[in-house]
Amino acid sequence: MASVLKAQKINASKTDVKGKGKRKAEEIDEEDVQVPAPKKLKNKQRVLLLSSRGITHRMRHLMNDLEALLPHVKKDAKLDSKNHLHLLPELADLNNCNNTLYFESRRHEDLYLWAAKTPNGPSIKMHVQNVHTMDELKMTGNCLKGSRGILSFDKSFDESEWGRLTKEVFTHIFGVPQTARKAKPFIDHVLTFSVLDNKIWFRNFQIIEKDPLQPNGPPQMSMVEIGPRFVLTPIRIFEGAFGGATVYSNPEFVSPTAVRAALRGEKGEKYGKRKHAEQERSERKEGRRREEDELAVSKVFA
Amino acid sequence: MPAHNLSEDVSDDEASFAPRPVDEISDAESVDEDAVPRQKIEIDNKIALERIRNTIRLDPSLSWTETLVVSYPETIDVDVDDDLNRELAFYKQALHSAQAAKSLAAKHNFPFTRPSDYFAEMVKSDAHMERIRQRLLDESAAIKRSEEKRKEREGKKFGKQVQMEKLQERQRGKKEMEERLKGLKRKRKGALDNPQEDDDGFDVEVEDAVSDRPTKRARGAGPGGKKLPRQVRDKKFGFGGPRKRAKQNTKASTDNFEPRAGGGKGVRGAKGKGGAKAGAKRPGKSRRMAARSRS
Repeated sequence: MASVLKAQKINASKTDVKGKGKRKAEEIDEEDVQVPAPKKLKNKQRVLLLSSRGITHRMRHLMNDLEALLPHVKKDAKLDSKNHLHLLPELADLNNCNNTLYFESRRHEDLYLWAAKTPNGPSIKMHVQNVHTMDELKMTGNCLKGSRGILSFDKSFDESEWGRLTKEVFTHIFGVPQTARKAKPFIDHVLTFSVLDNKIWFRNFQIIEKDPLQPNGPPQMSMVEIGPRFVLTPIRIFEGAFGGATVYSNPEFVSPTAVRAALRGEKGEKYGKRKHAEQERSERKEGRRREEDELAVSKVFA
Repeated sequence: MPAHNLSEDVSDDEASFAPRPVDEISDAESVDEDAVPRQKIEIDNKIALERIRNTIRLDPSLSWTETLVVSYPETIDVDVDDDLNRELAFYKQALHSAQAAKSLAAKHNFPFTRPSDYFAEMVKSDAHMERIRQRLLDESAAIKRSEEKRKEREGKKFGKQVQMEKLQERQRGKKEMEERLKGLKRKRKGALDNPQEDDDGFDVEVEDAVSDRPTKRARGAGPGGKKLPRQVRDKKFGFGGPRKRAKQNTKASTDNFEPRAGGGKGVRGAKGKGGAKAGAKRPGKSRRMAARSRS
């Protein structure tokens, strides 16, 4: 532990000096023309996609959608146990994957997503909400199966440290490498990640370069949503793969179970109050009861 | 340490004002505990996060075409619950990124647009796309139908108005008629008092008053009306003279063999055509019965 802290301190002192310059260089790399290097570097990523037991149909469909969109994904069978996540890095290694997307279903209703770099971490645990799959008929877009999507991150990812790390991990996992076996050579969709309300919103749009109404007019780009869509609430970021020290935790996250319990508690409170009032009323009634006298109705009209 | 604290407490107790503030503080604490059940420990180890990012990050010399990452230079600043604006913001982000990516792809000589003759399996199957299309059609049809219904309903409302007007009109007519009759009665009151003055009680005037417009005949043949001259009347109604020999043959008609202009019976079988024309004869009984049973 002490050595880790020391390493962090050293790193911090380094980054204080170098950090800015490095980031600037990165940005330039992103935007500028690259002179083709003699030895071409390749982005090699493979993602293991699997879920825990007890996922509902909607979660399963979401997984299938992701599998259809990302050709470098290897889907595996459901993981039997929720307590042995340390098995996952081994599993990924067996499948030659260096990333893992693990969907964990709790109580058949809450869905958590682990996005991890496998052998050495980090791993991000997120809560998945508002899932809409591609099967829904409202999203009218379509794209080539296995085409490489553009990854679009909004500016807020670059404003926080956890955002930068998340962006890096998502770049590895959701960016289809050029060398993926089933990848298609053209681009026709955009995967957008936006931070809003401390949550990550995922959308997938088809790029339409020609207006279908005027095919001969000037090319005007427009977007049609393909799906799926979901919202991720980051919960924790761990140093290792599916374990290790917590390096970030979201203080605003309230687990859905806690929310439900609070709701139930409120309801229970109401019930308790009502019961209490009922009891008090009967007691008061008992206290006010008069004794039998000779002028009681039952006696007068007997 | 605890011992020291205790001694301090004791000394505070000795002072008269001391216990109160202590109580208050504990009260405030308990209230606070109720409001916020448990303060979550926030961890945000920026140093570690950055170190981890540096360990996993891709080689910066990697070409853009390897990752296809585009940053949107704006943050999404909309109300979370405002669905329309939120989705619009995402749409804008996607559009901006797509345009940026296209220009970047052009810079890198990277194929971007799919040629129109490149066919491959799509994410959504043709059957699914057909369902989507069908749904769109259904939706538009439903909108059209409801619009029509609405129009019809409004028409009905309007029709009701028309009917009301008609009823009112009828009632007004009835009232007017009654008034007219009343007026007539008032006018004729004197006549009713001494009926011998004009003998026919059934006068046309009642009908005139009842009908919407007084008849011309009444005006023409009225007591003060002028008679048409004799000649005009003869022309109009016919001279009332000899009528009885009008159909008798005369010398001229006996000699005349021309068919009459009115196309009367003419000479039968003169050309054979007449026979054919008259061929629409009554069919025989059996045929008539058959026709009857058929119909």
